[in-house]
Amino acid sequence: MTPLLGYRAVSRLLAPVATLLLLATSPALAQTPERPAAARRESRTNLSGYMDFHYNKVEFTDGRLDFHRFVLLVTHSFSDRIRFVGELELEHALVEGLEDAGELELEQAYVDFLLHRSFNVRAGMMLMPIGIINERHEPPMYYGVERPFVDTVIIPTTWFETGVGVHGEVGRGWRYRAFVAAPLNAAEFSAGEGVRGGSQKGSESNIGRAAVTGRLEYVGRRGLTLGASAWSGHSGFEFRPRFDVPVSVVAADARYSRNRLELRGQFAHVAIEHADQLNDALARRVGVDPNIARAMRGFYGEAGYRVISGARFGDVGAFARYENFDTQFRMPAGAVRLPQFDRDAFVVGANFWPDPDVAVKVDYSIVRNRSAFIQAPNSLNIGLGWWF
Amino acid sequence: MVVLMRAVTRVLAVLLLVALSDTHASLQDTPAAGVQVVEISAERFSFTPSEIRVRAGTRLELRLRSDDTTHGFHIIGTDIDIELPKRGRGTTTVEFQPKAGRYTFECSQLCGAGHEFMRGVIIATE
Repeated sequence: MTPLLGYRAVSRLLAPVATLLLLATSPALAQTPERPAAARRESRTNLSGYMDFHYNKVEFTDGRLDFHRFVLLVTHSFSDRIRFVGELELEHALVEGLEDAGELELEQAYVDFLLHRSFNVRAGMMLMPIGIINERHEPPMYYGVERPFVDTVIIPTTWFETGVGVHGEVGRGWRYRAFVAAPLNAAEFSAGEGVRGGSQKGSESNIGRAAVTGRLEYVGRRGLTLGASAWSGHSGFEFRPRFDVPVSVVAADARYSRNRLELRGQFAHVAIEHADQLNDALARRVGVDPNIARAMRGFYGEAGYRVISGARFGDVGAFARYENFDTQFRMPAGAVRLPQFDRDAFVVGANFWPDPDVAVKVDYSIVRNRSAFIQAPNSLNIGLGWWF
Repeated sequence: MVVLMRAVTRVLAVLLLVALSDTHASLQDTPAAGVQVVEISAERFSFTPSEIRVRAGTRLELRLRSDDTTHGFHIIGTDIDIELPKRGRGTTTVEFQPKAGRYTFECSQLCGAGHEFMRGVIIATE
């Protein structure tokens, strides 16, 4: 039987953290040339947050008003070198027992030990550093009412797990993050939503075999961000020792903004080994073959332009985005590919910013799939998002 | 698919070349004798440039502006801790004359999920 918590794994994770914690609190290190001696800052606490209020009219259904996200962030500086960051999110306004309602999630709760610009240690509940949106999802920051489809069904934003890792900037605008974290749970994967259901979300997470993830990012030129991300983990802990399910996610993204123009693009690929055995095991468990693919893929490109910028009443921007996402991209031997999950989306719309931290958004999503029988619905979306 | 991958590869290669051709800091002509002007832009979640190299004792005039929300600019170990107004609401100027050493600066105004990544360094050498 796989232990719920691997003592060896935990020991391996905690040993370096404990050592670095001692170093971070050491007076000797605090006087290194990194920071010339001066008055130490008072500790302090900050509260912030963002909200997302949506109207969604999906074709063939009644419109819905949804208070999609209510998020509070709190940070506390114990000192210049030790910081806490917490993020608590209420989704869809209501949380009820076992019903299909909202979620109350602890998306971030970590302590940063800031040792050196190029090497810092983080431990707790952390965002996985994959793609654009997962770490940058404050509503005024992006075009469109809902997050891109690729950032929903290929990269399962908001993707957060418990773990420990390091991050830093190595010079000339290059920075990295590398974390060891709890793996996804393959028993929760699906044909239509990919690995999205697999996040353990830090709730008594199985870490018998920890996952590793990292991101290399370039931010050295004004307006330009380039990123490459990867995640690798063994997600079959519910099926070991019979078989395991190694999963890997790779993504590349780019953003560029200059004056009124903003361009962004992203590519993401998910590989699931032993998907055939996973389908067999889940079919025996629930009676239906989940038809999980061995590879999923998605990409998008988006262009936005601030038609009005600097006006007294605010800014107005228009955008267009093309997305392609397929959660049945490559199937295991013997499985039938479901064409309704090979989808394209054309999203066009506009943002109005009466304040840089408040965005009124409207968009129309045209979704197409490869199925001759099952039609993907289009949708009209109107949203109000703000950051404070 | 192959065509697409080639296109993506080319785009990334071009962007990488652009990135590698960049310099550390945006230094301007000095408006007054002995003063070096550095323009710094702040956006979630980075400062550009994030690495500034100067000679110790140089009088730096840092001109800071935000491209999105309110940010802070705090040079750790000093009294410099200012607020940068939101996009389109002007530039904030701060003067700093570093002795030899490394001075880490950071955003001191909580600006989002990646706020803790928003750091940079001024390196003053003899």
